[in-house]
Amino acid sequence: MSTTVLAKPKLVSHRVSRVVERNGLLLFCLLLTAGAAIFAPGFRSPNNLQNVLTNAAPLGVVVLGQCLVILVRGFDLSVASVMATAAVVATSFDYSTDWSVIPILAVSLVMALVVGSVNGYLVTQRRVSPFLATLAVMIVLQGIRFAWTKGAPSGRVPELIRMIGSQAIHSVPINLILLVILAVFVGVMLERTAFGRKIYMVGGNPRAAELVGVNVNWITFLCYVLSAILAALGGLVLVGYVGSVDNWVGRGYELNSIIATVMGGVSLSGGRGSVFGALVGAFVLTEIFNIALLLGFPVQFQWVVKGVVILLAVAVYLRADRSR
Amino acid sequence: MTYNHITSISSLPFLFWQRFLNWLGLAVVIEIVVIALLFVVGFLVSEHFRTTGNVADIFEQMTGLAFVALGQTVVIITGGIDLSLDATIALTSSLLSGVVNGRADLAAPMIVAVLAIGITIGLVNGALILTLRVHPLIITLAVAAVIQGFALLYTLMPIGSMPDGFDSFAFEHLFGIPIGAIVAVLLFGLVGFILIYTRLGRRIFALGGEPIAARLVGIPVNWVVLFVYGLSGLCASLTGIYLVSRLGIGNPTGDTNFNLASITPVILGGTPLTGGRGGVLGTLLGVLLVQTLNNVLNFLDVSTFYQWMIQGLIVIAAVSIFVEKRRRVA
Repeated sequence: MSTTVLAKPKLVSHRVSRVVERNGLLLFCLLLTAGAAIFAPGFRSPNNLQNVLTNAAPLGVVVLGQCLVILVRGFDLSVASVMATAAVVATSFDYSTDWSVIPILAVSLVMALVVGSVNGYLVTQRRVSPFLATLAVMIVLQGIRFAWTKGAPSGRVPELIRMIGSQAIHSVPINLILLVILAVFVGVMLERTAFGRKIYMVGGNPRAAELVGVNVNWITFLCYVLSAILAALGGLVLVGYVGSVDNWVGRGYELNSIIATVMGGVSLSGGRGSVFGALVGAFVLTEIFNIALLLGFPVQFQWVVKGVVILLAVAVYLRADRSR
Repeated sequence: MTYNHITSISSLPFLFWQRFLNWLGLAVVIEIVVIALLFVVGFLVSEHFRTTGNVADIFEQMTGLAFVALGQTVVIITGGIDLSLDATIALTSSLLSGVVNGRADLAAPMIVAVLAIGITIGLVNGALILTLRVHPLIITLAVAAVIQGFALLYTLMPIGSMPDGFDSFAFEHLFGIPIGAIVAVLLFGLVGFILIYTRLGRRIFALGGEPIAARLVGIPVNWVVLFVYGLSGLCASLTGIYLVSRLGIGNPTGDTNFNLASITPVILGGTPLTGGRGGVLGTLLGVLLVQTLNNVLNFLDVSTFYQWMIQGLIVIAAVSIFVEKRRRVA
């Protein structure tokens, strides 16, 4: 009898802690939103909420790709450079007609395909550490971009891209709709296809994956390619939002996307985490930046917030990892 | 490594050269050859290249990179990496020129303070790496974000100035060599001595080669980690001071691009990112190589944009080649 009395509360608390552990970030997100709505009056205005969503969408698109790469134990530091290059491409064609979106999309995707392939090749075939490979590729791409634009890109973004990046249908931002479509696509791919399951296997235990016949190098390679492609799309969405182009569109997104992904519970040691979590991470990060601004902190304060958030996230998930 | 078996048969001078090359390491030999080639190219393309003024320029330009690359080398030998260099330089340099603001009596105490700040940032890096047990890449990036935030909260634009004569650290020459370069080379010598001849040095290599074994045989791993990141922070603040001396003012924006630039000479010098091997001589020559290359490219009228490309390509090439070697041996 005493055992049942003892066991019951233990079970409940265990269940509660598990729910909190699984959905910790989501709960935090809700608490943060509620707190902000109470303490920062500007936050709950429909305009601001729409703003947060519009801001989060480009980051979300990049996070989808970053999530894939981190799942296979990698990193992609070249995403920001890919975004800026896609943005430069977006302004290099005739902006007066919506048809120019087709060549823009084609050139951006080819560029992303090449960059992703180089990343993937260096990581899988040359065994370069993902960090160094993507960093070096980032610098090379930056050089190419500056040489191409002669340091001063100009030109206008076509209307269609502007519209996708900055407008809303019934106060739902169009770029958010795009993000949801892409997220569903990537999410279904990860959860419901053989390819997706192989990504988890490769990240969880590359040796075992190899032994059961998974082509580890090929899967890893594809993740880098997908990351570059998603980054290019993110760059197009972002330049549609910003409206003008410079050589640094998307600066800081490499770090932000990694932070959001890690915050969203995707393990840096690979093989664990979900697209949904990573996206919640992206929204929370954008929300934190927004709240910091609304509370009157200077923009530079975002840097401090960023650093502290990543350290906290790492510390929290580490405890969860160990207790498992 | 591959020619060790020749020892007994070969003649004495040959043996001497084998030993000598072995001691230097393949990477260093390649570096010396490439630097020599670059000098030949420089001589051919421009008559200004061979002037003593230009050679002194190369030394002047390499000083800033030399300090951070030195710290980065020691960190990488332990198998870590330090990406908080740019942020540390941004904070230290802007604080130095901003606080001193032309008053000569504040210069000396502020230099000491700035060096202390650099060391502190490094120690924080080390402590967080030890407590959180996450890859140094993430930790130093996170710390860098915080430090960069502090720098930008302090000032958004370069402010302040330094008293007259402070620029001598960068521009004054002793026996025709810039003082900054002399300090850098002396520091390289000191750290090289520590690495090769002291117990601490052996421990640094041990930690990078076999981290678990190092802990098991009782090496105080925590102190070693704190030391290397502290040293790296110190080196970054030295670069900050040097840049203030050279440019007359500190820059809080952190776009100095030393994070990647400091890794390039380390890799060229034959210290692999996986740690456990390498040394500071290769790094020093790597810095010289990079600066000479930039100098020659400037004489060839190649724009900075292409120089970035070339730098990235060099890193990719160097890393790929070294990896292939390791694989063949294994």
